[in-house]
Amino acid sequence: MSAVLSIRDLAVRFATPDGEVPAVNAFSLDLAAGECVGIVGESGAGKSQSFLAVMGLLAGNASVSGSARLGETELLGNDRNALNAVRGSKLAMIFQDPMTSLTPHLRVVDQIGESLMRHRGFTKAQARSRALELLRLVQVTDAERRLDQYPHELSGGMRQRVMIAIALACDPDVLIADEPTTALDVTIQAQILALLAQLKRERGMSMVLVTHDLGVVAGIADRVVVMYGGRIVEHGSVKDILVSPQHPYTRALLASMPRIDEVGNAPLQAIGGQPPNPRRLPTGCAFHPRCALATERCAAEAPLLSVASGRGVACHFPIRGGEHD
Amino acid sequence: MTEPLLRIRDLRVWFPVGAALFGKPAQLRAVDGVDFDLQAGEALGIVGESGCGKSTLARAILRLVPSTAGKIVWMGQSIEAYSTRQVRPLRRDLQIVFQDPLASLDPRMTVGEIVAEPLRVHAPELSKAERRERVADILRRVGLSPDVINRYPHEFSGGQCQRIGIARAMVLRPKLLVCDEPVSALDVSIQAQIVNLLQDLKRDFGMSILFVSHNLAVVRKLCERVLVLYLGKPMELAPTEMLYSDPRHPYTRGLLAAVPIPDPAVQPSRLGTALGGELPSPLEMAPTFDEVSAQHQVACWRWQEK
Repeated sequence: MSAVLSIRDLAVRFATPDGEVPAVNAFSLDLAAGECVGIVGESGAGKSQSFLAVMGLLAGNASVSGSARLGETELLGNDRNALNAVRGSKLAMIFQDPMTSLTPHLRVVDQIGESLMRHRGFTKAQARSRALELLRLVQVTDAERRLDQYPHELSGGMRQRVMIAIALACDPDVLIADEPTTALDVTIQAQILALLAQLKRERGMSMVLVTHDLGVVAGIADRVVVMYGGRIVEHGSVKDILVSPQHPYTRALLASMPRIDEVGNAPLQAIGGQPPNPRRLPTGCAFHPRCALATERCAAEAPLLSVASGRGVACHFPIRGGEHD
Repeated sequence: MTEPLLRIRDLRVWFPVGAALFGKPAQLRAVDGVDFDLQAGEALGIVGESGCGKSTLARAILRLVPSTAGKIVWMGQSIEAYSTRQVRPLRRDLQIVFQDPLASLDPRMTVGEIVAEPLRVHAPELSKAERRERVADILRRVGLSPDVINRYPHEFSGGQCQRIGIARAMVLRPKLLVCDEPVSALDVSIQAQIVNLLQDLKRDFGMSILFVSHNLAVVRKLCERVLVLYLGKPMELAPTEMLYSDPRHPYTRGLLAAVPIPDPAVQPSRLGTALGGELPSPLEMAPTFDEVSAQHQVACWRWQEK
């Protein structure tokens, strides 16, 4: 299977007055055509920074190494013009906060039409009619009127739909969705997720879904990558990761989440401590200070990501055999 | 039944909005006719989406926003018309934990000063040593070392700041703790720590909790009863297990169906079963509360149809 997006050994570092801070290390991922990969982790895990790096949108003090190829195009370290030819046309991104990522002084029609006019050579009138189709596709009610509205006139869910319409305008090969529903109410979240699932199904779009919510990936992702302290700690099919996780962190994260379908008030299995600060990552395995299974070896030696039969785990003592209960 | 700790009757909080010059302002009905009783030691969850009035309701009960109509009866006294001066002594028993753990702590005060402040105001008779003792006690109780008293809030993580906020609220041993989205700003692994802490404190101190949240899974863990609000109006009020296993209001059902479950065998088929449409603005008349059973009330014309 050929990958539409292939990331190899991506590393992101930020230069700060207190020295260099590693945000992402040794991140590799192959995204197949029509596939949705969920990237899961807590704050500071490096999940957003990995894909901002792929989009060439990192802050000015960042340095990047490794490779990210979209088809034949290398994205990392490429110049702005080369990136602009790809961004918005073959590779699109939607962000968490639909208010701050739309331009406040441009009408909806101009924001959707911009990439069509730039990348596809549409005229203004063509762009307008395509924008209307797109708004209908993402199920914006009263689409015709919305075209001439400004972002502040729309609700949060509506703004997120507009952002998805912008991302879909040029029919990109890959859509990167960075916490697309985190800022939304739960009923609106369900609508947006259903829409993304439908787009993936009907248009065969490849998708990266960055989220902290394992419930969100369960409904839509084919594969899941779990990150902790800037590294991949586990990856595999959505079933592998959510039903029989092998990394103690994945397992602990699942156990710490209250579930809507769980009866009773037994205490949650909280993970002690807190997610690591990338400035002061623990030695060895970054999770060892919070891990119930950690030994001296875990503190001394960083585990490598070992891959077997389609799944990978970075742990000296992965939990195998016993089914997840 | 004994007199409840808190009795809310037909509580309304309206805000005037969009007044044209000399025109009559429209009324935004943030809370519009809420009734419930809260027993001593009981945890009541107040759930709903943004703009449903859940935070406004909590703040009106604490008299942090004025109510427009209705009754707030706290331990037998009607407090809805109390002046700030009259409410102040009651605050000893009515405490709140806010959503944003860092923003709700004064950045220029040390942790010791922050947690001691309620004692300074409400228990001035305590000596310095006694006060220090009480502060150290409650810090230990919320899982912080008493050594942190000389440090400042910015030195702590979100979860630790929330523990400090809980220590400040609990240092007076209040009878009612109002929690306004206390875990929404925290990382998943930290949320569980705070939920467990609140569960422990409730068990040990026996205070009542009003738990305002949009996270229905957390509410299920912590609360004995749940009130569902929509556009300022109560939709359903029921014991937790009854509400989650047998919701009668279509809105409650839609809300529950929208919460994702981290199980790939279940979740894909749940997508698309949730409510459609956008949240309307608080305008139209809604049906009133009907009794399903003595403990279960629902506001829907059609609740009897399964």
